[in-house]
Amino acid sequence: MRKAFSDTLLQMGEQNPRLAFVTGDLGFQVFDEFHARFGPRYINAGVAEAQMINTAAGLAAEGFHAVAYSIASFATARPFEQIRYCVAYPNLPVTIVGAGRGLTYANAGVSHHALDDVALMTAIPNMTVVIPGDPGEIEALFPQVTALPGPSYFTVGRFGEPRYEAEEPAVLGRARLLRQGEEIAIVTMGEMAGEVLAACKLLAADGITPVVYQMHTIKPLDTGTLDALARRVGTILVAEEHLPMGGLWSAMTNWSATLDRPAHLVRLGPPDAFALGNLTRDGFRHRMGFDAPAIAAACRKLCK
Amino acid sequence: MMNTPSPFQLQQKARELRATCIQLAHDGREGHLNGALSSVDLVAALYAGWLRISPDDPTDEGRDRFIFSKGHACTSLYAVLADRGFITMDMLRQYARDQTPLPSHPCIHALPLLDCSSGSLGHGLGVAAGRSYGLRLKESPARVAVLLGDGECNEGSTWEAAMFAAANQLDNLLAIVDYNRIQSVGRTDPLNGFASYEDKFRAFGWAVQTIDGHDYGQILGALEAFPLAAGKPTAIIARTTAGRGVSFMEDQVLWHYRVPSDDDLARALAELDASPIHLELPVEAAR
Repeated sequence: MRKAFSDTLLQMGEQNPRLAFVTGDLGFQVFDEFHARFGPRYINAGVAEAQMINTAAGLAAEGFHAVAYSIASFATARPFEQIRYCVAYPNLPVTIVGAGRGLTYANAGVSHHALDDVALMTAIPNMTVVIPGDPGEIEALFPQVTALPGPSYFTVGRFGEPRYEAEEPAVLGRARLLRQGEEIAIVTMGEMAGEVLAACKLLAADGITPVVYQMHTIKPLDTGTLDALARRVGTILVAEEHLPMGGLWSAMTNWSATLDRPAHLVRLGPPDAFALGNLTRDGFRHRMGFDAPAIAAACRKLCK
Repeated sequence: MMNTPSPFQLQQKARELRATCIQLAHDGREGHLNGALSSVDLVAALYAGWLRISPDDPTDEGRDRFIFSKGHACTSLYAVLADRGFITMDMLRQYARDQTPLPSHPCIHALPLLDCSSGSLGHGLGVAAGRSYGLRLKESPARVAVLLGDGECNEGSTWEAAMFAAANQLDNLLAIVDYNRIQSVGRTDPLNGFASYEDKFRAFGWAVQTIDGHDYGQILGALEAFPLAAGKPTAIIARTTAGRGVSFMEDQVLWHYRVPSDDDLARALAELDASPIHLELPVEAAR
């Protein structure tokens, strides 16, 4: 995904001479070509996330679309007030890019975990929040967020994530149908889509074919698609790599509460706790019960 | 461009501007007079000619940018904006009232001619540096000035910004520190380890000059010398007095927050021997 991002960024830099990139001293060698090609439109603010965001805010106030890049936990929590006050309040066109959200950097420790980034960013008015799930969604959605007149939060995984097939293209603000199915639905966010699709493979032998939606745009939430989905299936399983507060689950329960007949929602994801133990990402997903086998098992139970 | 008034003319006008700040604080029931009265001369000097900006087209692309970062002290900004014709006297009379364009911390949505909202401290220098960088990318000759409080320099983000501005050689950036030595609940120097702002900015790679922030000759002279060095951002450390101009307010922590009573107002205006610029009636009758 990192490669898809740097390639797409390069294209956007080519197309838009008013696109500038600010890094918080991260992305070793990833943006060398952008730097070589666009010179001063590549800016390293140093290990100074507050200034990374305020540089982006100042550039945006001067008519640039600024892209601010750091590891997801440092890009969101550390400069939260700069994002809220200097970017979102004046509604400036800044895209904050969080690399390695969720448990991407699992065994780097809690400092590098971003299990609350969606909660933080969706809490801010004017903010659009986009969590792509594969390189294809990076390529499709990054040009769309950088065309927005206001701020956005956009995440990028690591290297080498597989691309997945989908029933429809990735369109900003629209839940993306990955698999058509019946009886039960799984709604997921970001790279958890890969885990969900792996679960679908496991379920094929049982004759269970869940409808799968990837909610890459978590704000604004595509409630129209969810309304239609709730009329079609009995249960919606929500699979997220985010804390229970403020992520996809929160967004879904907020939506469901507005229905005359609330949807039956079931959550799989990490608990409200710091992820201790220095496990790998797969290890955490297994221990916390939201890996592919756990998702498949939950579907089997719900379909009995 | 306007003709720059003389230091003497500015000194005379400053008494009216101070009277305006105090009247606004009294009528709006909002304090923060310490920082307003300490910064009046700096803001007035900037708008007296240094800032290349016209009330006829205050958001012109080629204008100089100004960020009033110590937002709580904004009565001085509003008074100067009204005096220079950027906002109306009627707007000034609505300071801190319901649905006002002039809230007690400046808001770009309420007053779009501003270059930045302010109220949360420690952001102005960082955004100003970003704007300076953007202007250079656009090959614009416009400059960026930012007024900081000394208390605001407690914020770590101010120093991230100072590092960034020097690292990127932003010599189109001017930071003025209103060094009035008082902040919200105490004095600035003990909280700062008695370190010199001039030394600190210089150590960060800035060109720095310290002046008397109430002496218009010195303020205009320092502005005239901008940029102090090619390839470096410029800082002016303006030594000022909190509550300047009113004997019972000067250098008192109390007047960071305190709202002047009727009696305080009358005594202050009498001492200043000046009327607020936005009152149509003589002061006594208006009250």
